[in-house]
Amino acid sequence: MATTAPLDADAGAAARTVGYFALWRVLWRSFFFQSATNYERMQNVGFAYCMLPALTRLYRGDALQAAMTRHLEFFNSHPYMADALLGASIKLEEQIAAGRLPPAAVQRFKRCMMGPMAAIGDSFFWSSLKPFGAAWAIAGVLSGIAWAPLAFLVLYNMFHLSMRVYGLFAGYQYGERVVEQLNRFELPRFSDRSHYLAGAFLGIGAALLADDAMRSTAAIGDGLEPVLMVLLAVIFLLCLKRKMPMLLLLYGFAAACVGLVCGLNALFPLIG
Amino acid sequence: MDGSILAMDLGLVATVGGAAALDRRGAFQLMVSQPLVVVPALGVVLGDPQTGLWLGSLLQLLWMSSVLHGANVPPNETVASVAIGAMVLLFGKYVGAPDATVWTLAILIGAPLSLVGRWLEVRLDRANQVLADRADEAARAGEPAALDRLPWLGLGRAFVLNALLVVVAAALGLGLLAVVYDDVRGAFAVALQTVGRYLMPALGLAVALSIVRRRRGIALAAVSFAVVMTAILQGRG
Repeated sequence: MATTAPLDADAGAAARTVGYFALWRVLWRSFFFQSATNYERMQNVGFAYCMLPALTRLYRGDALQAAMTRHLEFFNSHPYMADALLGASIKLEEQIAAGRLPPAAVQRFKRCMMGPMAAIGDSFFWSSLKPFGAAWAIAGVLSGIAWAPLAFLVLYNMFHLSMRVYGLFAGYQYGERVVEQLNRFELPRFSDRSHYLAGAFLGIGAALLADDAMRSTAAIGDGLEPVLMVLLAVIFLLCLKRKMPMLLLLYGFAAACVGLVCGLNALFPLIG
Repeated sequence: MDGSILAMDLGLVATVGGAAALDRRGAFQLMVSQPLVVVPALGVVLGDPQTGLWLGSLLQLLWMSSVLHGANVPPNETVASVAIGAMVLLFGKYVGAPDATVWTLAILIGAPLSLVGRWLEVRLDRANQVLADRADEAARAGEPAALDRLPWLGLGRAFVLNALLVVVAAALGLGLLAVVYDDVRGAFAVALQTVGRYLMPALGLAVALSIVRRRRGIALAAVSFAVVMTAILQGRG
């Protein structure tokens, strides 16, 4: 990014840095990043709210007004990855305040990076880590491990909180080069592997659920429970792949099941 | 049934529901709002963690694909799960032991709340437009303190409305559950237990498997199912 001559930087704040206390305040505020999400500009209020401790350290008067306004433009990214963008934006704001960059530099950076960061966060946290952790914990609960949900929380938040803290401070340290730093972790590769593991844990969960059905009063007998469970799961999976809503399948099949059992019992009375 | 204790329990349900709804989207996002965590937590609060654990696992499976990608607002699994969990746990506490029929009925009654929760979330996002406009005014006036207050207004509104939704749904659902349960017998009871023991777990597994992106992941699910099932059947002799 090309540097330009100092523009309207506040002369009194020219050499200022935000300091670590302000960065910790930004980190705390980032936990409320999506508190005022709106349809027009998405997370803009959250972003500006998080930036305030840094902006008030760097600017006064008109310069503060302008800085607040430029962070209220459209912003939409992954809430955990936003910390890296916050850190980098603070670094850029320091340079803007010192007159080494034009104010538009930070807006350009945010516009360019929010999409890719959202993609990384969505893919890693929402689509990989969460299903993997949940699948593991479900298999744990079904096999009698009562603390499995707690372990899920610890595992998930180890990654989540590390990403927030590292992202913010790395963003502040490396500025626009923060993405290169995050790329070192090769999150997409982990995403791929977590899908295999999630599949394996779901298989274990399926077996434990079939075992639970075999022990229940609704047992069919002759070891047919696992077969019925797999058959139903495959039918549902095929329906879901054809974009049928889960609730439609739930009510449709439940109604069919009730109709079938009650109808058969009316024809061949076996159940009192 | 002691009315004041029930009112206190409903207050707890509202608090858990409101807090979990905030964790889901507005604040922290520590995943406390996931059914697998919030329903057992509710079970601890209402005195039956074991039922909470089983029910939380099943609800987690059913809503595993509910993911907040970008601007997409998926069905709100948190409010539905807290309300369903509250119905079952309060039934257990005040009416009778929550068997398969009870939680099957509770899920059938409470599942559409995920859509009501989504509708509420969309309305809240629209209402937050006022906060964005007020943020613009605060910036124009150069008043950081005015901007500082806005996220708390958004969070407060989300907490109150979600807590209300959860507690009203749980109270109405509990009443309905108690009335319907009395009339469930014979073939209808067997059918509901079949729905709860086979259909719902199978649907949950299918939902969870539908978000496994790799074919090898599905293959691994099949292999691990076969291995564990064989071990279980051999263990039974």
